[in-house]
Amino acid sequence: MKQSYSLVFNIQRYDPDTRKSWMQTYRIEAGRILRFTDVLRKINKELDPTLAWNSSCEHAQCGSCSVVINGKPMLACELLVENAVNYFGTTTFTIEPISVAPVLRDLVVDLEKAYDRVHRIRPFIIRPSQNPNHGQEYRISPRVMESYLEATRCINCFCCATACISSHKGFVGPNAVMASVVRIMDPREDATEDRLKQLYSEEGVYRCHTSKACSHVCPKEIDVAHFIGLAKEGEFH
Amino acid sequence: MSKMFKLSSKIQCEVLIVGAGGAGLRCAAHILEKRPGTKIMAVTKVSHPQKSHTSTAQGGLAAVDPNDLVDKPIYHMFDTWKGSDCMADQDVVRKIIDAAWEEIVWLENRGMHFTRDEEGRLSKRTFGGHTVRFGEASAFRAVFEADRTGKGIMDNVWGEALKGGVTFLDQTILTELLIQNDRCVGAVLFKEKTGEFVAVSAKATVLATGGCGQVFRVTTNCRQNTGDAHAVLLQAGLPLMDMEAVQFHPTGIVGPGILASETLRSVGGILRNKDLEPFMVRYAPKMKELAPRDLVARAIETEIREGRGILNPDHNIEHVWIDLRHLSDYVHAVQIPEVSGFFRQFMNLDPRTQLCPVRPSNHYQMGGIPTNAFGEVQRSPDTVIFGLYSAGECGCASFHGFNRLGTNSILELITMGRFVGERVVLSMREAADGLPADAGDRTFSQFSKYLENKNEENIDQIREDMRRMMTEHVGVFRTEEGLNTAIRTLSGFGERVRSTGLRCRSLQMNQELVQRWELDNLLSVSMVTAQGALRRRESRGGHARIDFPQRRDEFNSHTLAYMTEFGKIRFASRPVDMSIFEAKGENHEKFGLIERKY
Repeated sequence: MKQSYSLVFNIQRYDPDTRKSWMQTYRIEAGRILRFTDVLRKINKELDPTLAWNSSCEHAQCGSCSVVINGKPMLACELLVENAVNYFGTTTFTIEPISVAPVLRDLVVDLEKAYDRVHRIRPFIIRPSQNPNHGQEYRISPRVMESYLEATRCINCFCCATACISSHKGFVGPNAVMASVVRIMDPREDATEDRLKQLYSEEGVYRCHTSKACSHVCPKEIDVAHFIGLAKEGEFH
Repeated sequence: MSKMFKLSSKIQCEVLIVGAGGAGLRCAAHILEKRPGTKIMAVTKVSHPQKSHTSTAQGGLAAVDPNDLVDKPIYHMFDTWKGSDCMADQDVVRKIIDAAWEEIVWLENRGMHFTRDEEGRLSKRTFGGHTVRFGEASAFRAVFEADRTGKGIMDNVWGEALKGGVTFLDQTILTELLIQNDRCVGAVLFKEKTGEFVAVSAKATVLATGGCGQVFRVTTNCRQNTGDAHAVLLQAGLPLMDMEAVQFHPTGIVGPGILASETLRSVGGILRNKDLEPFMVRYAPKMKELAPRDLVARAIETEIREGRGILNPDHNIEHVWIDLRHLSDYVHAVQIPEVSGFFRQFMNLDPRTQLCPVRPSNHYQMGGIPTNAFGEVQRSPDTVIFGLYSAGECGCASFHGFNRLGTNSILELITMGRFVGERVVLSMREAADGLPADAGDRTFSQFSKYLENKNEENIDQIREDMRRMMTEHVGVFRTEEGLNTAIRTLSGFGERVRSTGLRCRSLQMNQELVQRWELDNLLSVSMVTAQGALRRRESRGGHARIDFPQRRDEFNSHTLAYMTEFGKIRFASRPVDMSIFEAKGENHEKFGLIERKY
């Protein structure tokens, strides 16, 4: 088993002070089970402290470290060097920021702007339905929940929105649609009409071309396209 | 000082919340429910509130269901008191536990997707240390959302805060608290994205910035948990409490530090050293792998120190093995799928056929910013700073004392968040005070030095050296000699950081600049932790002194540490509230200075 790899990282850089973009090449030796976030940290320490990148939990639970690696949007924290070499069949990697928000510096994008889409669909219960069990929890059958629980695992990493071929300005985006579908299927939400109206509006689901790129790239392996499909059919239960 | 260093604007709000995780946003949601339209500004260091570290909590949320025929709040209070090694404040324990179920209902009614039973009620599971009838049997007390309870909480409180109209400032750090005559009037913030400094005037300021686990080499804490609010508070002349009370989980996955849960050992996983010897039998002949957390952690650490660990070449960390190879496919697939998955995902190995590397991982800081039961920050046991509050892991009321029970952390953050909200609503002044004329000066002098230095000490190297040293001397076990070494070494690091230089000299989105600032914060927290540990000549909860293995009643009080100049600490103490015991009610004897034996 190979213990270490000589990697070439071609990283898309951007300096907000000079507004210059360029591609920079780093050559670095990395152990086989280092995560890409570990390699970026190694570059900071050994080669270039100025390279900026984003991460937080670094175990695929927060969705802060999404980047585009050799064309595929992925979480840098869960990609191990050895797996990347096997998956892409190369030791040379091009790393670029995700495309759904303006770049602040190097690989760091303004996620707040990306989140505008999610905020627009209102990721909360807009109008609570009547709770017959007043003052206590709503009784919800596990069977009902099963139909949408998968979608609640979404961490808003925006990999799907980056991969989506329709994710131009007009479309609210796959993760945002999914967040709304969750609440449409949630018996505690009363504002399903409002939500449907938005999903069937100009920025809604008919922008989707059903390429299913969203499901293909989702790091949490959620079938995002399935939930968009439900919305298109208007068939939620 | 260059022209870069100026306040780009002065902002007014009613409530400034620093740290937009579970505690901060629960607080915001409460204020907005009781006082709609309140102008709240929530600041987060991460790129969006949903990325907060609360999201990563897995297990569950302890709360006694009033409809439960067996469980009672008093049992939960007892478990918490016992677990704390007699250092939790009983007024806080009572308040939080009495409010727990209301919070569960609040979360559920607002859309949290708790796991349900067949009748559609909330499912409950057991957790270590949670019992009924004062230790007689395990309690089914933890409600949960699959293995992502923290994410459920986070999504919910973020949604509610958004719905209520909170203004968010993402990727922004708190650099200075503005305190005049024991009154907090606001704060100075640095907006990383634009490189601007702003002064915020607020009627109430809430600190909810989370833990400081980055002090240690292997930690379950996220990259941003660098003890920032802790350090800013020290600079303002305020104390930190019980910082020597640090929880280590015995089996973290080497590298990412993710928890390999207790379940691995309870289903029959065997710990082995480099000679493949099942070493637990030497430390706990009867219980072996099932011995309590702290004992297992110390056993692993001892194996490593005595040269029977294995070095992981990629992460350059020593570890022992947990052997799961003899367990059936059923156990792997049904009982430990998540943890098995973590080993596959982050170590590229198959736990069914290969040994898995684990070592103790820093998990939780029981100590923090001293507050009373309402979350008001204290200057001393009998003075509060008016208008300054704290909740969540950075705060210390103290609910956990010297050792935290599983599922009590997210209970604490959600209830204390609400209590702070209640207090803010109750004591909100009509108008905010004006900002002091020198607001920002301290920040500018600090940040300009970072940019002026031109020498070549490497920030990453110092941080790495510090984390390694803290793990060795101020980690799972401590000795007088080790702690003295730690304090001396930290002073040396304090010198070394002065000669760091930054390659990127911009203020805008300068990761290097923020890391330089974080390093100062980490060093401050480390220093307070090490000195507190040296002073406490006993073993209690997460604080284990080899040279003083017993708990000693003379140390039955909280440590308060003040440090305005690096390394120069003034200590004071705060008595532990024992109001449940002193009330002499039914079962009060369970709340005396009892032994923590399981």
